Amino acid sequence: MEATETMMGRGRDAIDMIVDADSFNEGTIGAKTFDDPEFGPGAVVGTAALNGETVTIIASDANAFNEKFPVVYAGIIGMEEGYKMAQAVYASLEADKAKPVAEKRPLVLIVDTPGNGPGKVEEIFGMNKATGAYQLALAEARLAGHPIVAMVIGRAISGAFLCHGLQADHIVSLDANFGTMIHVMPLTSVSRIIRKDLETLQELSKGNPVFAAGPRFFYALGGVEELVGTIEGMRPTIIEHIKAIRAAKAAGEAEKLGPWGRGQLGAEREGRKVRPEVIKLMNQEFAAVAEKYAPSR
Amino acid sequence: MALNTLEFDLKLDEVTHSIDTPIHLGVVGSGDMEVLMEPKDLKGAVSVRIVTPVAGFDELWKRVVEKFVSETLLGDVHLEINDNNATPAVVLLRLRQGFAEATGE
Amino acid sequence: MPKWNDLQEQSFLESDARARAVGLVDEGTYTELAGPFDRFYSPHLEVLGEAVEFDDGIVTAVGKIGKTPVFVISQEGRFIGGSVGEVGGAKMVNTIRLAIEFHDKLVADYPDISDEEKPVVVISFETGGVRLHESNAGLLAHAEVMDQLQKARHKVPVITLIGSKVGCFGGMGFVAAATDAIVMSEFGRLGLTGPEVIEQEMGKEEFDSSDRALVFRTTGGRHKYIMGDCNVLVHNTIGAFREAVAKLAVLPVSEFEKMRRIGSPEAVERQLRAVALAAEMQPQDARDVWVKAGNPDPVALTDIPLDEFLADVKRLSV
Repeated sequence: MEATETMMGRGRDAIDMIVDADSFNEGTIGAKTFDDPEFGPGAVVGTAALNGETVTIIASDANAFNEKFPVVYAGIIGMEEGYKMAQAVYASLEADKAKPVAEKRPLVLIVDTPGNGPGKVEEIFGMNKATGAYQLALAEARLAGHPIVAMVIGRAISGAFLCHGLQADHIVSLDANFGTMIHVMPLTSVSRIIRKDLETLQELSKGNPVFAAGPRFFYALGGVEELVGTIEGMRPTIIEHIKAIRAAKAAGEAEKLGPWGRGQLGAEREGRKVRPEVIKLMNQEFAAVAEKYAPSR
Repeated sequence: MALNTLEFDLKLDEVTHSIDTPIHLGVVGSGDMEVLMEPKDLKGAVSVRIVTPVAGFDELWKRVVEKFVSETLLGDVHLEINDNNATPAVVLLRLRQGFAEATGE
Repeated sequence: MPKWNDLQEQSFLESDARARAVGLVDEGTYTELAGPFDRFYSPHLEVLGEAVEFDDGIVTAVGKIGKTPVFVISQEGRFIGGSVGEVGGAKMVNTIRLAIEFHDKLVADYPDISDEEKPVVVISFETGGVRLHESNAGLLAHAEVMDQLQKARHKVPVITLIGSKVGCFGGMGFVAAATDAIVMSEFGRLGLTGPEVIEQEMGKEEFDSSDRALVFRTTGGRHKYIMGDCNVLVHNTIGAFREAVAKLAVLPVSEFEKMRRIGSPEAVERQLRAVALAAEMQPQDARDVWVKAGNPDPVALTDIPLDEFLADVKRLSV
């Protein structure tokens, strides 16, 4: 693979490349404004036009440093950042609450984050709640009809990708030659921790995408809907996916979207073959005893 | 690198007895194992299947399971073990616990 | 498996996943789904030559407490740290999904159904999150669980239990936070980043992961109770956890919304007030926050018996 340009650490540039020219209004979503520049500086939220349509943008700023919570830098999502992102989602829901499903504004998540805040204060106060709050808000917006597309431009690492990305309807990613990283851990670290030699793991990963790092493995598992081959391709790809998501929701096919939809995609692409078998068997086993658990009348 | 699978049958000359209900026992923690014991018509024999990351102890496995089968006079049972480096003493202990549960003793 | 009555007195901390699952529901009502006899072990561990388990380290079952159908998920910490892979993840996801479908069916079939006849989900966590041997599949399963938790909202209450050795960390730390109610024992630990990783990030002088007392007062049951992250703190027996679940299971689902820490704009605003307090205080130790909550002698709080603690403790209000 030839090394090409990278978008890593360039979340703000990516916003400008994706949305309509000069349309990004940072810090305002519907009636909600984010006025304090020192609040959650690692999270960039706002409203833009995309192909003429109003969209909410949520991204990470890799150059920001949170003075109050020094573990937040380089795109890490800290407590303030997680809750700020959740507020951005709730503000989008609120702004469109009277609108029919077909007119709910899309949310575009620009993903380049290496992790959730890993500090002592974070554990004392509960970083797990901040990242969980944002995910629940995204799931609520997705189920309410807002199309959500995650665009991976750089790092989509482990819990941070769960937080910012994996609750989207569709996930698209710049291909591996842009240096995009999607993983829980690099294979070298996996090799050290599970004590299997790297060459063997590399060889095995050719046939099984389940532990190796990179967007192509996630594509095979159904964890990423589409790989994007050019930087210019980001904008039209996102527009295309918003359209497809709207169509699926209008057709009552929401089950084909989001994490559950990607589970089915993982089976179709033969990356996750056991998952559907387990589910099928459990359904049969429960159906056989369900009557026992219904109210007795 | 794959797991090792060991399969063999044992049959005692004495009169054997089976178990009434299938039993599952144990957790595959480090140095431990789990076992399934299922009644099955095997003409008095015991069929054994062991899956383990450790290679090269086939004879030892056979001896340990043989000891268990001859002390319990087990027959018409299928035994299936997932092992994670359990010592022979732990293997015997788990098999005996499984048998005790299966027979209500 | 010990007799059901004996299970009630058994230490929750020491119990394996199946003992917890069986003991939580009424005697004789337990049906395991995708249990060990189905032999759904991880094909990915097999390829790597790692020991497998017939239930892949997650017990999934349905039972009853009184009139309430209870869908149980119970993680086994002794099997690869209770880690979540493709099979175990799918079992978890589908158990919640089955509970939601069953709820919808019962509501349609029984127009007069009472709150206590509607299903609940109980998750007994013992995990550090993703299983590295199949990390990508484990990660994707976490996202599916979060999706199902949101789909269960306003229908099926999801109750978290934490009191096992491994605690509840990594991605499962925010899965637990996203459930409706959290029941812990004082031996339970809940967080996102495990103590070793914090030490690695901040240095040993800031956080010594071998200091057991420090680890417990940062993530343990008593601390989480003071912070409002744990709703109910119970004694360390399966019976005590069961009793807490039984009390919760009969409540209408609207009551569970009040117990949540996150999941609404209002809850987020409340958490942000706590975060502002964290920024202002810059606590060096959880005890600083206990004092702020109104406990003048924080050292004593760690050592007094649980019942005294519950009677005396002031919880943080923001």
